[in-house]
Amino acid sequence: MRSKEFSLARYRRHARPAIVLVALVIAAAWQCEVNFRDLLKGIAKGLSMLAFFFPPEWRAFPEMIHPALVTVIICVIATPIGAALSIFFGLAGARNLAPPWLRLLCRSLIAIERGLPEIVILLILVAAFGLGPFAGIMALAIGSIGMLGKLVSDAIEEIDGRVLDSAAAVGATRLQVIRHVVIPEVLPSLVSHSIFRFEVNVRASVLLGAVGAGGIGYELNAAINQLEYNRATAAALTTLALVFVSERASDFLRARILGGGTV
Amino acid sequence: MSAPSFAVPHALLPSVRLRRRLVILAGSIAALAGLLVYLRVDPIAAVRDFHYVTDLIREMLPPNFRLLAVKPSIWNSLVQTVSMAFLGTLVGAGIALVLSVLAASNTSPNRWTRLAVRTLLATERCTPNIVVLLVLLIAVGIGPFAATLSLSIGSVGMFGKLFADAIEHVDPGPSEAIAAAGGGRLHAIRYAVLPQVLPSVVANCFYAFDVNLRAAVALGIFGGGGIGFELNVARSVLRYKDMFACLILIMVLINLMERVADFIRKRLFSMEGELR
Repeated sequence: MRSKEFSLARYRRHARPAIVLVALVIAAAWQCEVNFRDLLKGIAKGLSMLAFFFPPEWRAFPEMIHPALVTVIICVIATPIGAALSIFFGLAGARNLAPPWLRLLCRSLIAIERGLPEIVILLILVAAFGLGPFAGIMALAIGSIGMLGKLVSDAIEEIDGRVLDSAAAVGATRLQVIRHVVIPEVLPSLVSHSIFRFEVNVRASVLLGAVGAGGIGYELNAAINQLEYNRATAAALTTLALVFVSERASDFLRARILGGGTV
Repeated sequence: MSAPSFAVPHALLPSVRLRRRLVILAGSIAALAGLLVYLRVDPIAAVRDFHYVTDLIREMLPPNFRLLAVKPSIWNSLVQTVSMAFLGTLVGAGIALVLSVLAASNTSPNRWTRLAVRTLLATERCTPNIVVLLVLLIAVGIGPFAATLSLSIGSVGMFGKLFADAIEHVDPGPSEAIAAAGGGRLHAIRYAVLPQVLPSVVANCFYAFDVNLRAAVALGIFGGGGIGFELNVARSVLRYKDMFACLILIMVLINLMERVADFIRKRLFSMEGELR
């Protein structure tokens, strides 16, 4: 009896989506030049290559301190700048504060910016300002506006209209309303998201470094290009530690802020 | 005579507050200046050499969309970038699902497996995509395949912890019912755990696709193929009008895919009940 009750019929309605999915996967695999022979060879090659990467070049670690600091400092400068700029973009992009044309302009700028990975922004900035941390700082600051600006705008639009009205009713000018009502309202979430953004920026900063913003990403890329694999391991381990510490620190700080404590 | 007790507390006096703010402001500026000196960055030079920026903008305009006709491979590269993100997300999610079952405390066979898998996932999450890509570029050669693999590996780290946490938060009732009816661990996973976490798995896939699409562009720049590669080629041969065209294509692509993903997600979740 039991075996008769079991039939493929109940899986039939999954057939069409499954076929579409499989077709898409095959098309995508073909596009991506997936090649299992390469993969097998790659795994074998990768395993034999691991021997070159280990042990890390211990002497190189002291030399990694400066690049690692550069990577962090780029984020330390860029994140507050991005946060400050995103307050302006946020104010200008909020429905209840800005005129419609300004809101549309700001919202479109933010949307365009969100569509561009930081590294693409960096490539343009490198073409303009040349290689170096300055382009990296600018790229990350601009990159932060996309996320934080949208966040601030949305937070401002969620402010109860009556609060704004009552401030205006007692005679506050628009600037005073912004200074004493809007900013205090959005600041906690802005600070907490900026700290999260800092963590994102650290990862991005490593990537940007490899393209020419300097820092640990540059060291890593240079070491691999010069076939100094042991040195590359040292750089990779430093990067790992950097990202790990920034993630922990960011989690800790955000938990404290959300818990109502002070930084 | 001491100050009368109804006076404003010293710390709240306007002059004191002003002074404190000035000190904080001066401190921040000094710190910023110090950091800039350490980086050997000269922000004034950026203002002085601002003509480079205007020169660049003049070089970039108008974007050369003839590129699309002259170089049909651009179309292909767009599809390639999307494929990389799609495949990377899917493979990453598949591997992550298996690993997360091993990592979640309620489905893992034993503590040591759980600890090992958790550690693996944590290490992975901390490894930037670029490190993985640089190694893979050597192992399997330059091209979209290396970028796809690197995205898959990155997605495993991103997904694994999320899935494992989702599995740990499922309602234990159905699993216990299956165990009581004589079902094994695999039955419980298939019929009790999986249906409960599937919506969150699917939602995370869409989110990860969004992240991976941007990452696919970025990895392309390092030799991972796709539109990022074309962008970098145009830049390194100083064809800025072509570069601007690629830039606009990237923006359009990312916004378009966001719309498509939203559309599919809405349709999928409107029939969520059937999905199981």
